[in-house]
Amino acid sequence: MKVLSIGWVNVRRVVRDRTGLFFLVALPLMLVFILGAAFGGATTPVVGVVGDAGALSADDAVRVRNFPDEPALRSAVEHGEVSAGLVRTDDNAPRLLVRADRTGQQLRMLVTTSLTREANRIAAGEFVAAQTGLDRDTALSLVDSAGVEPVEVRVSTTGEALFPAGYSGFDLGAANQLIVFTFLNSLTTAAFLVETRSLGVTRRMLATPTRARTVVAGEALGRVSIALLQGLIVLVGSALLFGVRWGDPLGAASLLCAFALVSGGAGLLLGSICRTQQQTTGAGILLGLSLAAFGGCMVPLEFFSPLLRKVAFATPHGWANDGFAALTRRGGDLLTVAPHLAVLLGFAAVLFSLGAWTLRRAVTR
Amino acid sequence: MTVLSCSGLKRRFDDVLAVDDVSFTIAEGETYGLLGPNGAGKTTTISMITGVLERDAGEVFVDGVAMSTHTIAAKRLVGYVPQELALYPDLTGRENLRFFANLYGAGRRRVEFVLDVVGLTERADDLAREYSGGMKRRLNVAIGLLHEPRLLVLDEPTAGVDPQSRNQILENVRALAAQGMAILYTTHYMEEAERLCDRVGVIDSGRLIAEGTRRELVERLGERDRISLQLDGDLTHAASLLGAIRDVRGVAPHGHGLELVVDDARECLPAVLSAISTNGVVVRSVEVTEPNLETVFLHLTGKALRE
Repeated sequence: MKVLSIGWVNVRRVVRDRTGLFFLVALPLMLVFILGAAFGGATTPVVGVVGDAGALSADDAVRVRNFPDEPALRSAVEHGEVSAGLVRTDDNAPRLLVRADRTGQQLRMLVTTSLTREANRIAAGEFVAAQTGLDRDTALSLVDSAGVEPVEVRVSTTGEALFPAGYSGFDLGAANQLIVFTFLNSLTTAAFLVETRSLGVTRRMLATPTRARTVVAGEALGRVSIALLQGLIVLVGSALLFGVRWGDPLGAASLLCAFALVSGGAGLLLGSICRTQQQTTGAGILLGLSLAAFGGCMVPLEFFSPLLRKVAFATPHGWANDGFAALTRRGGDLLTVAPHLAVLLGFAAVLFSLGAWTLRRAVTR
Repeated sequence: MTVLSCSGLKRRFDDVLAVDDVSFTIAEGETYGLLGPNGAGKTTTISMITGVLERDAGEVFVDGVAMSTHTIAAKRLVGYVPQELALYPDLTGRENLRFFANLYGAGRRRVEFVLDVVGLTERADDLAREYSGGMKRRLNVAIGLLHEPRLLVLDEPTAGVDPQSRNQILENVRALAAQGMAILYTTHYMEEAERLCDRVGVIDSGRLIAEGTRRELVERLGERDRISLQLDGDLTHAASLLGAIRDVRGVAPHGHGLELVVDDARECLPAVLSAISTNGVVVRSVEVTEPNLETVFLHLTGKALRE
């Protein structure tokens, strides 16, 4: 009960801090959105059209936006408001304006295919009308109703895709932000623990009929709860707002809990070692961002050199990152991430032991 | 009935012997002042008494319960008001009290009661950081009262507070002592110690060098009241007249007058003035100095209390 009470006070203090709340809730989700959008979110590309969009209007792969004239369309393409523009007037042949990026090239193929299919349909309709004497509309509906046996195409995939089909930038960004912010905020909010000590509140707790180990356990619980809260905000928020898929729920929950324990342990240790809140915040940011970078939260681990990969797996971030990748990109489950969990729990045990020992020593000397 | 009994308390930090063989007792309803210059060992002594700090030697009994063997039971009997404002600034007054009430095992009704005692009921839902210095001090005291302790330890509870809050705290302490609570009080304000404390212990360099009531300490040190007179007239004649008065122990020249050492200045003063005025000497001014704890403290430690 006393442990819960001390832990709850820690959470309440963090949640009550408005600046801290921005870093806890808004910033991680904003970064998931920004990175997801920048590195290819699962959004439908937009094509601007002057004139009749024709079959493009019915194509689910693109979204059509109408423009009154060509200069307006050209300006929209140049400013990136749309990735491609189609000009269709009765006088001239259709003309396509595309941006020189990946989405622009993708749209060029989609629009060209759609226009070709449409032209073929009209040509076939005119041929039927000429041969049978039927009117044009009847001939076109006859063409539409004609079944064509599809050509069988065998597809073989070689090698392993880095990102599976349908894996969006949001999926990648969310896992990284979860790891970065769970650890980072756990370290920076350890400043509250330093403040509790420097104000003499911890010593005062020890003057109550409460054992030192209970006080230490309560503070540790507070750190873990804050880390868990941060992880849950990113996990649930990104799933609800951006449709991020986290893979096997049990595996994801276990990884989150294990990483929250690691982060809580690190926060407890830092809060016990540092003497001022400024020290804690500074060291927290430095450690949090460095470990995130080495742990593959800024660039995927697959892009690391063999040496850097070894370094990555010396950090808890590397293991958490690889664990989430196994769940979200390789279709793994709880059993797949069992080794990751074991290593993370090992990190947590070491950090908690050191943190508890240091805190107890700091407050009872 | 003795509530606090500590004997042979000793604590060393590396090479520094912070507290050396300190022993004293406090009875039910008694207020005991622990006075000493900065670094004398007051806070270390208090920390050992409250169970926050381990002792190298010695024992603390609270209501007969030994702190070393029944730590939790002994702590239940002690209320602690530390020198620093040991409360969460980002929680409200009521939240702070409820948190510590959980640790003490006190109920919510008790929280409301102590809020009322320290006069914070109306501001109970404001954040502690928004309180004035005096209100924070009162909240600091309130936390120590949550569990109705038998012994209340107050470590400079009025440091830096406004006169109104100071008076309220002192009134609270007096009322608690009147209800039978034993109180251990440290302060830098000598007048507070004189007003509040039944007995005083003077600690210096970790050792308790004197202990007793104010009168006992004054007498033990041989300190006496002094009357300083500024006079016009024959000072030699005046000195011989005054020296003949029964309670006057000594007469010495002092500026344009004389200084008398007497047993009790208040009793002796009418006789002194009468003797002078009937012999043609004009009294320009009279100053009476009674030895107080400040004098005792200075005599014992060679330092002023605020050094």
